[in-house]
Amino acid sequence: MSEIVLETKGLTKYYGGKLALDHLDLQIPRGSICGFLGRNGAGKTTAIKMMLGLLHPTAGSAALLGCDSAALTPAVRQRIGYVTEGHRLFRWMSIAKLERFQRAFFPEQWDDRFFGDMIEYFELSTKQKIKHLSNGQRAQVSLALALAPNPELLIMDDPTLGLDAAIRRQFLEGMIELITRQGRTVLFSSHILADVERVADRVVVVDRGRLRADCPLEAFRASVRKVIAKFSDTAPSEAQIEGLLHCRHSKKQLEMTLVDVGDAEVAEWARQTGAEHYEFVEMNLEDQFIEFTAPPNHRRLFQWEEVE
Amino acid sequence: MRFLALLKKELRESLPWLLLAALIVLGVGLVRLRPRAPFSVADYWQYTSGMTPGEPVNVHYLVGAAQLELPAVWLAFIAPALGLVLGVRHFWVPLFTRTWSFLLHRSAKRSTVLAAKLAAAAIALVVPLGLVWISLHRYACRPDVFPFPEPIKVFASGWLCIALGFVVYLGTALSALSTARWYTTRILGLAFATLAVFFIIAQWKLTWIITLTILAIAILLIQTVAAFEDREF
Repeated sequence: MSEIVLETKGLTKYYGGKLALDHLDLQIPRGSICGFLGRNGAGKTTAIKMMLGLLHPTAGSAALLGCDSAALTPAVRQRIGYVTEGHRLFRWMSIAKLERFQRAFFPEQWDDRFFGDMIEYFELSTKQKIKHLSNGQRAQVSLALALAPNPELLIMDDPTLGLDAAIRRQFLEGMIELITRQGRTVLFSSHILADVERVADRVVVVDRGRLRADCPLEAFRASVRKVIAKFSDTAPSEAQIEGLLHCRHSKKQLEMTLVDVGDAEVAEWARQTGAEHYEFVEMNLEDQFIEFTAPPNHRRLFQWEEVE
Repeated sequence: MRFLALLKKELRESLPWLLLAALIVLGVGLVRLRPRAPFSVADYWQYTSGMTPGEPVNVHYLVGAAQLELPAVWLAFIAPALGLVLGVRHFWVPLFTRTWSFLLHRSAKRSTVLAAKLAAAAIALVVPLGLVWISLHRYACRPDVFPFPEPIKVFASGWLCIALGFVVYLGTALSALSTARWYTTRILGLAFATLAVFFIIAQWKLTWIITLTILAIAILLIQTVAAFEDREF
């Protein structure tokens, strides 16, 4: 089994009486590119900050590169790159000053040439001040700063938030640059499912503070499926099938989102309920994520959609 | 190297404010220390005491009179004000700009990050204000400019005023680091520092002033270190 570089055990966080993260158990093996998914307020940033020792867990623990997050030593931090949410950097510094500042903390690892190449690739000048950069340019500087020390583990908190499609693509290509280096592990939270699909080989899904999935991307893609069953007469208002996430029915049609349900089980259900016809509907990752994390009493915004 | 990088960053962020504070004290000092030639003992007596010409000169008064008293009063306000501004710059601004996460994920201990901030504040208070104060004092002690040297007590009081700047800095830091609400315990750091400054200024005995200043700094420093080590960012 490959080495675990990021592990959480029962990681829990309360803000006052509000539960933000509930017993998160994670194991990320070395070399994984892990997409950390969840809706707004799901607990992603809280989890990341606890992993990095910036927040104290209410219960449980986290370990990065074998070191307890609550006591990350400077030597271990040196091996971890971190891109903060919103790319918050010192606004008064120029890129060159920021590079000098960052380099001081990675005296042996800092790759001047790589940093220079990335800045050039992003068409930035080291004389530019951070306060004069756009969101996208700040994101690019953040990434270059995080990658130049060649970290073993890179943690990014929603790095592509607020970036346009072209900048996002450049950003992801920069990220892929790191991925191509052997044995590097990346954990990145994102709302842009297309980005996750493009680079991740593993997904972790948290929903309202709880871990809902931690598996290879392909396994997630294969396990969340939508089935539309048609009935000659009135469709049943509910479906009794194990693994059912959501069920929507109209007069003669039943639409179900299922998790980990095989073809045979669906066929058996269709036979028992007398469905005239059923089909599996292709879903992209975004659809799967939305269905997977939608609340059980989830209603459509426009009710007329359900009118046949 | 890491500490120096952090120290340089903090000093650079403090630079405009410490220059402004130093310039104000220097300006007040230079206005006060304008040489008035010819400057005889009688002129000096008239100048410092406000007595009319011809009145008998009180030598005891003259020995205790100080040209630097007014700049010292200004310093007693400027140094705490600079302490407040530095505290805001070092601990509050990163909360608003959300740069704490970036700063704290350095390959340095939290104590190193805090030590750099405290050292930067100490340097920012002591070096510019101290240099200005020493310069003013040396100028005021020139026998060709003023007939009496400055009393050592006034010179020492300037340094104590600078130390009060550090008291306010620590109080501001403590309030910034608190996660409580303003109307509860968050205000306590700043309130304690403000009360301590007024209480210390009201003292007459130099030994008491020194003792209370050290005590206030020690209390606030212990609290600040504990709060910073434990703070969530």
